[in-house]
Amino acid sequence: MKLSLNWIKDYVEIPADMDLSALAHDLTMSTVEVEGAENLAERFEKIIVGEIKEVNPHPNANKLRVCKVDIGDGEIKDIVCGGSNLEIGQKVVVACPGAMVRWHGEGDLVEIKNAELRGVPSFGMICASEEVGLGDLLPSNSDHEIMDVTVFGAKAGTPVSVALGLDDVILEIDNKSMTNRPDLWGHYGIAREIAALYDLPLKPIEKIVPKTTQSLPIEIHDADRCPRYIGAKIEGLGVKPAPFEMQSRIWRVGMRPINALVDVTNYVMLAVGQPTHVFDSNHIIDHVEVRLAKENEKLRLLNDKEITLSTDDLVIADKEGAVALAGVMGGAKDSVLPETDSVILEVANFNSQSVRRTALRYDNRTEASARYEKAIDPERCDQALALAVKLFGEIYPDMKITAFNDNYVKPLERKKIDVEISWLTRRLGKEFPKELVAKKLGIIGFDVDFDGEMMHVTVPTWRSTGDVSIKEDVMEEVARLYGYENFEPTPISITYDGGVNQLDYDLVRKVKEYLAFRADMQEIFTYPWMSDEFVNALFPSTDKMLALATPPSPTERLVRSSLLPNICKVIVKNEHNFEEFDIFEEAKVFIDDDYTSNYKNEKLPCEKRRLGMAFVGKFANISTIFRRAKGVVENMPRYTHMEGFTFKKVEKPCWADGVVWQNIYLGDKKIGDIALLGAKQAKNCGMKVLSAVLVEMDMEEFVPFKSRTNRYERLREFPLNEYDVSFIVDSLVTFDAISTAVMQVATQKPLLRAVKFVDEYKGEKIPQGKKSVTIRLEIGSDEKTLTGAEIDSVANAVMDVIESGLKGEVRRS
Amino acid sequence: MKEKLDSLLRDGEQAVLNAKTAEELQKVNSDFLGKQGAISELLKALPKMDAALRPEMGKAINLVKNQLKAKIDERMEEVELLALSVPEDFDCTIPSIAPKSGGLHPITQMCYDLNDAFRSMGFQVFSGPEITSEGYAFDNLNFPENHPARESMDTYWIAGHDSGKAQDKLCLRPHLTGDSVRYMQTHKPPYRFVYPGRVYRNETTDARHERAFFQYEALIVDKDFTFTSGKVMIKTILSKVFGKDVPVRMRAGFFPFVEPGFEIDMGCLVCGGKGCSVCKNVGWIEIMPGGTPHPNVLRSAGLDPDEYTGFYVNIGLDRLVMMRYGVDDVRLFHSGDLRFLKQFR
Repeated sequence: MKLSLNWIKDYVEIPADMDLSALAHDLTMSTVEVEGAENLAERFEKIIVGEIKEVNPHPNANKLRVCKVDIGDGEIKDIVCGGSNLEIGQKVVVACPGAMVRWHGEGDLVEIKNAELRGVPSFGMICASEEVGLGDLLPSNSDHEIMDVTVFGAKAGTPVSVALGLDDVILEIDNKSMTNRPDLWGHYGIAREIAALYDLPLKPIEKIVPKTTQSLPIEIHDADRCPRYIGAKIEGLGVKPAPFEMQSRIWRVGMRPINALVDVTNYVMLAVGQPTHVFDSNHIIDHVEVRLAKENEKLRLLNDKEITLSTDDLVIADKEGAVALAGVMGGAKDSVLPETDSVILEVANFNSQSVRRTALRYDNRTEASARYEKAIDPERCDQALALAVKLFGEIYPDMKITAFNDNYVKPLERKKIDVEISWLTRRLGKEFPKELVAKKLGIIGFDVDFDGEMMHVTVPTWRSTGDVSIKEDVMEEVARLYGYENFEPTPISITYDGGVNQLDYDLVRKVKEYLAFRADMQEIFTYPWMSDEFVNALFPSTDKMLALATPPSPTERLVRSSLLPNICKVIVKNEHNFEEFDIFEEAKVFIDDDYTSNYKNEKLPCEKRRLGMAFVGKFANISTIFRRAKGVVENMPRYTHMEGFTFKKVEKPCWADGVVWQNIYLGDKKIGDIALLGAKQAKNCGMKVLSAVLVEMDMEEFVPFKSRTNRYERLREFPLNEYDVSFIVDSLVTFDAISTAVMQVATQKPLLRAVKFVDEYKGEKIPQGKKSVTIRLEIGSDEKTLTGAEIDSVANAVMDVIESGLKGEVRRS
Repeated sequence: MKEKLDSLLRDGEQAVLNAKTAEELQKVNSDFLGKQGAISELLKALPKMDAALRPEMGKAINLVKNQLKAKIDERMEEVELLALSVPEDFDCTIPSIAPKSGGLHPITQMCYDLNDAFRSMGFQVFSGPEITSEGYAFDNLNFPENHPARESMDTYWIAGHDSGKAQDKLCLRPHLTGDSVRYMQTHKPPYRFVYPGRVYRNETTDARHERAFFQYEALIVDKDFTFTSGKVMIKTILSKVFGKDVPVRMRAGFFPFVEPGFEIDMGCLVCGGKGCSVCKNVGWIEIMPGGTPHPNVLRSAGLDPDEYTGFYVNIGLDRLVMMRYGVDDVRLFHSGDLRFLKQFR
């Protein structure tokens, strides 16, 4: 919202020496956010009034003239101009070199320089109104017309801002910062705050009751939606422009002047925040009624849109039907027409929610509806009426109010709030003398009575519509008027009630830090919705997936039930920039099932914290990639202090390759999968270059250790001997099988401590369907150093088992 | 004989000096001191000498032998060190080899930094469900029944659960504030906790607006807590994030779930408060709303608002992270683009 400082000064005497930035700061700190303060005169710097002394033809151009212009103190300049309405003696607007103008009112501001036009030097330019930003205030009648300011009677050389009375400061208020303050949506409301901040007197707008013999018939059918409706039939008017100062004020705060009748209503709204409306009284048949619209009732609005009304819409109607959408917009039929000479002035109060719903229904939010939506108090009608009648009287000295009615069916009750002084002191952390509290609140219209330690507060009407309703609101008023900046920060007192121990939270964090800083993986964030393309590539059905009612896009409706579709999307996004990368994401997934909640009366879908990973690289390296991925998973418990995992092949994930997959188990429970993304699935995802091993795990199943549990192992006294055994075996024999068979030997030969994988080879010199495997035996005793014969005896037993049990062909040296 | 011995010593010393490697030195050693070496030959010839001269000669030979041995040993150490000496043209400025490391998302990192600061002050970390009912997202928080935030143009309602009232209506959580009530309903006061997490708004995205973003809320609830202590909480957060004391101011602001409510500004770090384009020339940047929980919120949590009060702040982590690293497009955070994410290590 824009506010004119001059206008505010109508209601509160702001000292001439008041620092404007201090005013903006103080308002920002205690009332509303002032986003900017523009000195209007600065827009018109180096733009002055000039008087045309001569108009001569241009030697080289038919449409141009060379004018001799007095720019003050008798200084005459030659200015080339194409204006169609140039006249000797005319006062025009001259942009001198250095002024900023907008060519033909379009594009960016440009600086005027001394220039030559078609060979004739010109001092600046004679401007059209759009060129100096005055197009809305003083519109020109044709394209080539320059602005004629003769009527303002200013001497040549006078700055335009002075000549037109535009020497004003415009404050820009952030609307968001006053959505809860219906009293501030006009100059008077802000004037009231300024008066309170600086303890200045606020000028009242006295209530008037027009004296007429005739009562205007007004029927209100719904008092909740329309608590008050004032109607005044005013005669002796006519359509003409409003006085320039009124137009100028309306223009300065961002609206467009139209004609005196409409301008008065807008001016009143901008002044006191109360929307008003005028109907051409010749078009209102019989009476005014305020009622809900009838089924299928139609109304053509002022903007010429015809709407079919809802029975939830409040309308103003006459005998024949709806004439206006209450609080939103007038109708076309009754609006001010060129021949209008008498009006019915409406000053009414409408329910905020009713107006809001109607404005939204027709996507038609107006200056009026925006104000009604904030919940204006019905008492403000008095101010609006008084101001409107006064303005009409000034513009139309012969006007007469011939009929009047103030139908106030549901008077506003001022809110009453009791506040204990001791409570106020406790909450403010500071003791305020009663007198000070009463004074601060009194300035902004609160009535305060004391009954011992109890303070009875009566809220002013303009803040009784919801804004101030509980004692915390009263406390806020005291605090902000005292100034938040004047409160010292106070330390936070701590009641120590034991250390914070959060194993679950710590575990999630440890896992993520392990993956990032030990496993060389990058954490990613993705959205909680999935693209259909990736869901369809990975999953056979969308069963048990939730969807958004209004999704970001039609193909992103599904809420994620797995982290993998989005991870695949990220792989596709990155596979052209990197040859190899490992990523992970920790996030919630949602399943349309098991509706329960830990909280009151709530039933929420199943929600689980998951961990997703992708190990991405070339297909040729898939064996290494799979081992690396498994290593990251297998070692996670060791570094993050939780129960360890095992790997089994029980249930192939639907998105997995036919061979390269395992399930991850914690005890007997499957908690995740690790697998190569199937080639077909990868292709459907649009993966063209790289292959990926994916992991998805259910983090809720992770079991953190309460403390560190790995036990100390005594240092070996006697050496552990390593013995490598190489053999050729059927390529389908797994290392798991080999290891199990070999460790069987330990039951007979306890000196065999462990078996480790060294390598595996398939290819040249190895028969088809076979592979060469090297394992390493660890052989040792806790009592002595072993002899060669003792070691060989264990190794030979192992080799025998490989040959007999695994049908292997051992390479004996 | 004496002369022969002298020249042998000279030859030996010269040979030692000429030897550049351990092998060459070994050869010198065997040439002179070995079994077939020159000195040994002399010693072997000793018995054939005049008996009277023998002791003196023997002594002289041994002296030379020892001198030469000492020279060889000394040179041997030099040669060994020489073998390990690095040539002068070794370039210490060749780029280093970094240890392998991935990285946390910059927002996660910021969140953990804040968690550390708050846990050091005895705060718990809490997280609630990301799909919530309207009851917890709005009703409990004193949002009027027809508040615009409840509409589908602002909130992602779940299909099939987007009608009805309160507990029946489900949405992706539009803010974290609802979780404060969840925590309070399930714990005993006084409270000191933070509840960071992702929230979702139905928005048109651009460089400054996202549909999914990360918030960080902190709440203290205690008896007789004043909003002036809230300022301490805010300063703690900001000094942790920016590593220095940051000026803070609280000014009037309105949010349904707080009373009184504040807009909290920090001094602009770009211009130091003098005014610049970043802070629109006011020297301050709006960074978070905060305030005392509204009595209706405390009532939803089962507390008596006359007994308990507190202070709450809500920080937009995306915005803080953008300021911390100079990121100019919020959409990068959820892009999954590793060229971006790998910069934060």
